[in-house]
Amino acid sequence: MTMLNPDPDAALVERVKQGDVRAFEMLVVKYQRRIERLIGRMVRDVDLVADIAQETFIRAYRALPQFRAESAFYTWLYRIAVNTAKKALVDLKRDPVTTLTALQGADDEDETYRGGMEPTDGETPEALLASKEIAATVNAAIAALSEDLRQAITLREIEGLSYEEISDVMNCPIGTVRSRIFRAREAIAERLRPLLDTREGNRW
Amino acid sequence: MSQPDSDHPSSDSSRRILSALADGDATDGEAVRAFQAWRDDADARATWHAYQLIGDVLRSDDLACDAQGNEAFLVALRARLAGEPVVLAPQPRVPEEDLAALAAANAGPRVAVRARSRWQGPMAMAAGFLVVIGGLNVVRPFGHGADATLASSTGASSPLMASATAVNNGAVVAVGQQTPAQTKAAADQLAPYLAAHRQSAMNAPFQMPGNDLRNVSLVQPAR
Repeated sequence: MTMLNPDPDAALVERVKQGDVRAFEMLVVKYQRRIERLIGRMVRDVDLVADIAQETFIRAYRALPQFRAESAFYTWLYRIAVNTAKKALVDLKRDPVTTLTALQGADDEDETYRGGMEPTDGETPEALLASKEIAATVNAAIAALSEDLRQAITLREIEGLSYEEISDVMNCPIGTVRSRIFRAREAIAERLRPLLDTREGNRW
Repeated sequence: MSQPDSDHPSSDSSRRILSALADGDATDGEAVRAFQAWRDDADARATWHAYQLIGDVLRSDDLACDAQGNEAFLVALRARLAGEPVVLAPQPRVPEEDLAALAAANAGPRVAVRARSRWQGPMAMAAGFLVVIGGLNVVRPFGHGADATLASSTGASSPLMASATAVNNGAVVAVGQQTPAQTKAAADQLAPYLAAHRQSAMNAPFQMPGNDLRNVSLVQPAR
C-alpha cells in the first residue's frame, strides 16, 4: 500500500523502535479515543471496551518492531484493534451485539428485554456532561477564530491535508501554515484547559 | 501523575514543537526536544493531550471525553508497559562515512569504543576457527597427510578448507575473508604438497582412502 502523504506518526514510531517507551505513550494519548470508539462499535460493552483497547495497545507495542510503515501507523493500529476485539468476542463466546453487561442486567421476567441489543453505556452522568461541555467549548472556540486560523486548522484536522498542501490551498509559505495551526490550537486549548484539569489540579 | 518540572517549563516554543510533531512536521532535533518534554514536563503532556483532543473533537463531537478517563487509561497502560520488554527494532547499518562524521561530532572515546566493539565479533570468530583447526591438527592421527587428503577429496574448492590447510602448512590466511584470487593462490601453493602426498600414499603399503576406490588384490605367500 502506498501513502499519499508521509505518515505523521513516523517520528514517534521510530522513537519507540529505538527503545523509548514514553514515546509510545504519546501515540496512546493520540489514538486512545478513536480506538475506543472503534471497539465500542464492535463490542458495545463499555466495561470491555477499555480492556480491549488496553490489549490493543499492548499488542501494538509488542509488534512494533515488525511494523514496516507500508501503511500509516493508525491503519496498522486499527487492524490490531479489530483483531483484538474479534478475538475477545470469540474467547467469550458471545455475539458481537450481546454483551455480558447487557445479559447480566437483563431480567428474565422482563418482557421488555430485547436480548441485549441496546448498547450499554457505563459513562457516569458527570462524565457525559463533561464530554458535552468539552465539545461545546471546542466548537465555540473554533467559531471565534479568525478566518485564516480556522481554515488552517480545519484543513489539517478535518481534511487531513499536509502542511505543503495547505500552503498551496491558502497560498502562503509552509512556515505560515505551521504558525497558523499552532495559534489556532493554542487559542482553542486556552479555553479548554480549565476543563481538562484532572484530580486536584494535577495534569498528566 | 507527576508535577510539572520547573527545569523544563512548557514554553511557547516547546508548544510550537508539539504542534508540529502532532502533524509530523517536526525536524529531528525538534522531535528529540518534544520527546524530552513529554518525559519531563507535565505541562507538555497536558498540551499534547489538549492538541490531540481538539483534533478529535473537530472530527467528531462523540470523541470528546473528560481528561480523567484519558489519564486513568494511560496510567493503567503505563503499568502494563512497565512489565513489557523494551522494544528495540533492528536499525539500518550506519555507513562508514556517517560513522566518521559521527565520531567527529560526538565524544571521541565513546565512538572509539563502538568502533573497537565492531571488530570484537569477527576477531573472536577468527580466533575460534584457529582454535578448532589447531585442535583437529593435534587429534588427527595422520597429521598433514590426512588433512591434505581431506582437502584433496573436496578438490580444495572451499575457501574455508583451503585456508585451514594453509594454516597447517604455516601460511596464515584470514579465515572466511578470502577473495577468489587468494583462494587460487592458496590452491597453487598447496599443489606440490598434494601431489607429493598422493605419490607417497600410492606407494604406501597401508594407504588411507584417497580420491577413488581402487581394486586391490592380496597376494598371500605360499605356505
